[in-house]
Amino acid sequence: MGAQDLIIRGAHVLDPGSNLDGITDVRLSAGRITEVGEGLRGVRALDASGLHLFPGFVDVHAHWRTPGREDEETIETGSAAAAAGGFTSVVMMPNTDPVIDKPVVVSGLVRRIERESRVRAYVSAALHEGLEGKRLTEMRLLKEAGAFCVSDDGLGTQSAGVLRNGMLYAKSAGLPVILHCEDHTLATGVVHDGVAAALAGLPGSPGSAEDVATAMALVLAAETSAKVHVTHVSTALSAALVGFFKVRGDITADTTPHHLTLTEELVSTLEGLYRVNPPLRPDEDRIGVGDALASGILDFVATDHAPHAASEKELPLEEAAPGFLGHETAFSALYTDLVQSGKLSLSRLIETMASAPGRWVREASGASGACGICPGAPADLALVDLSGEWTVRADALVSRSSNSPYLGRRLKGRVVGTVVGGEMVYDGIGAKFGARA
Amino acid sequence: MLSRNFLTLEGVSREELRDILDLARVHAAGHGGLSLVGRTVCLAFFEASTRTAVSFELAARRAGADVISISEKGSAVQKGESLIDTVVTLDALGADAIVVRHPSVGAARLAARYTDAAVVNAGDGCGQHPTQALLDLHALSNAVGSFDELCGRKVAVVGDVLHSRVARSVIPAFQAAGMEVALVAPETLLPSENGAWELPILPSVDDAIDWGADVLYALRLQNERMTSESPRIPSVAEYARYYGVARRHLRDDVLVMHPGPVNRGVEISGDVVLSDSSLIPAQVAAGVAVRSAVLAYATGVAQKAVA
Repeated sequence: MGAQDLIIRGAHVLDPGSNLDGITDVRLSAGRITEVGEGLRGVRALDASGLHLFPGFVDVHAHWRTPGREDEETIETGSAAAAAGGFTSVVMMPNTDPVIDKPVVVSGLVRRIERESRVRAYVSAALHEGLEGKRLTEMRLLKEAGAFCVSDDGLGTQSAGVLRNGMLYAKSAGLPVILHCEDHTLATGVVHDGVAAALAGLPGSPGSAEDVATAMALVLAAETSAKVHVTHVSTALSAALVGFFKVRGDITADTTPHHLTLTEELVSTLEGLYRVNPPLRPDEDRIGVGDALASGILDFVATDHAPHAASEKELPLEEAAPGFLGHETAFSALYTDLVQSGKLSLSRLIETMASAPGRWVREASGASGACGICPGAPADLALVDLSGEWTVRADALVSRSSNSPYLGRRLKGRVVGTVVGGEMVYDGIGAKFGARA
Repeated sequence: MLSRNFLTLEGVSREELRDILDLARVHAAGHGGLSLVGRTVCLAFFEASTRTAVSFELAARRAGADVISISEKGSAVQKGESLIDTVVTLDALGADAIVVRHPSVGAARLAARYTDAAVVNAGDGCGQHPTQALLDLHALSNAVGSFDELCGRKVAVVGDVLHSRVARSVIPAFQAAGMEVALVAPETLLPSENGAWELPILPSVDDAIDWGADVLYALRLQNERMTSESPRIPSVAEYARYYGVARRHLRDDVLVMHPGPVNRGVEISGDVVLSDSSLIPAQVAAGVAVRSAVLAYATGVAQKAVA
C-alpha cells in the first residue's frame, strides 16, 4: 500500500470482462489497478457511491483532423472530447491532409500524441497511398514508425484485386485492416435512397452500396485469413453478412451510436447537419443493426467521431460535409435510447464500448497481461452517473466543432470522470485526484 | 404553409390552394392593382433560368414592386456560403421578398433561416418548384372550368420523376386538388422508394390512356442530371415510344401539359406541343399572374387587403 494509492470507494463496478457487477472498491497504484474488493483502506479516496465504474471506453474509429484541419479538431481537443465521453483509448483514422501514408507522418503524429493527447491514441495508417486504392503503403515501415493498423477509411477500396493484395500484405506486416465498405458506382447520393430522399428529391445511395462492398470485403477476408475489422456497419443485410462470414475468418465489426439511434427521417429537415456516411438508414436497418449488436454478431460500438466546421455544415444537404461528432454523446445516447428502453442490457453496452474493443486494441498493439477492472490491468476507467440528465448544447461541447446530431436532445446517463493510467483526464465532479504534478 | 414563405407544396391543403388560386385569378383579370408598390422583391438566381426568372420579374414589376436581380453567372457550382451571404446582404438592403432558385435541395429553406424577408422557392435542385405547380393548377382550372372541377379527374405524370422538382410539387398539388394521380416511368427514372407517394405506376402513355387519364403531364427528361457511366434509358427512340406523348394519344377530352423547356420528339412530339389539346402556352401565360399573387401573399399585402 503506497502513499500514492487511490481508492475509488463505493461505486457500482460493472465489467463484463471480469464478471464484476456490484458495489465494491477499487485500488489504483502507479497507473494500474492493484486491488478490487470491499472495505479497501488508503490515504486518498474518492467517494463514488451512487456512481457506476466501467472499464474505460475504447473507440476504434475517430477523426481528429490532425494533420491538416486543426481548425476542426486537434489532438488536444479531440482527446479532451474523448475523455469527456469516457473514452480512454482511441484509434485515429488516416484520411487527413496529408494522408497518413508515410512513415515520417506516422512518427510525427506519434510524438504529438505523446505530448498532446489526454487519452491513449493509436494511429491508423493508410492501406493504400493517398487512400486511392492503387499503390500499397509501406506497411512494415509504417508499423515500425508506430502505426497500429491500416485502413482506407473515408473512401474504401473499390477493386477486389487491389483489396485482396492489401489484406495479404497487411497480414504479413502484422497489421489489422479496418474496412470502410462502400461501392462508389452505387453510392452516388448524399443520403439513404429511401422514402425521405424520394419525397425530398435528394440523391440517394442505396443500402446495396454498403452491402455489395461488405460482401466483397468479407469474401476476401475469409480467403486471406487477414485480421479485418468492418467499421460503421449500417444496414441489417451487412450485419447479417458479417454474421455469415465471422466463423470463416478473423473478422470483427462495429456500428455507430448514430446508426443505432437515428434514422433517415432526419433528412426530411433538409439540413446539412444530418449528412453522414454511411447515411442514416430506415428504421428496419436501425433495428437490425441493434439486434446484431445485442446478439454478438457485431462486436463493438465505434463513434466515427467526425468534426466539421460550421461553414461545412450550414449548407444545403447536398453540399454539406458528411459526418457527426461522436465521443461526447456516445454513451448517453445509447444508454438513453437502447438501455433504458430495454433493447440492450447495460452489461452488453459496456462489453461493446469497452471490453471487446479494448481486447481487440490490446491484441493488435501487442500488449499482454490483464485488462478490464482487475488487478494488474492499466487503470483506464470511466465513472458514470446513470441518473444524471443533460441537454446536448453546442457551446458546452468540448470538441472544437459542434456538428452533433443530438444537439438539443435531453440525454440520460452522464460521464462524470475518466481515468487513464491512474490519472484523471476528465473531471466532471471536481474530484481532482491524480492530477499531473 | 403558404403564409409567408413559399418553400414546398408537400402537405399543402385544398383551402390553401384555393386561396392562392383565387388571388391569382384576380391578378390574371388585371385587378391585382399595384399591390407591391413600395416593396422590394429580390430575385436571387443561383442557377440558369429563363422563363422562371422573366416570369417572376414581370410579376413583381406589374404589381409595382422594386426589383433587384442577382444571378450567378459563369460559376457552375454554387456554394451554400455564398447563398447565405447573398441572403444576408439582400436582407440588410431591405428586401421584402427573396425569390431563390438554386441547384441544391433545401436552399430556399436554408435561406429562410437567415432573413426576415419572405422567401419564395423558385426551384431547388430536384426538390420543389411550388410556383410551377400553382400555375399548372391555374391553367388547368381555367381549362376545365374551375378549381372545384379538378376533383375526381385523373392525371398521369409521365417521365423523369426521379430528377424532377416539378413532379415533387405537382404531385401533392394535384392530390390536394382532389385529383387521382398515376406515374408513368421506367423504374430507373423513379425514386427507388417509388411507393413513397403510394401511387399506381403505369408502363406506358398508352396504358395511361387506357387507365382513363384526363390529363397527361409530361416531364422533361433531365439528361444533365444523368451520368454516362450508368445509363438510365437505352435510347431516346425507345423512351419516346413508351413514355413520349404523341398524336395518337390525343382525344377531345384529354389535356396535355408540360412545364418546359420541352425536348421535342422525346417526351412530347412536336405537333402535340401546339395542338388544341395542349395547355403548354396557357401554362406559360399563367406564370405572371400566379407569381404576382404569390408575391402579394408572401409579403402579406394580400392578407391586408382582405382584412
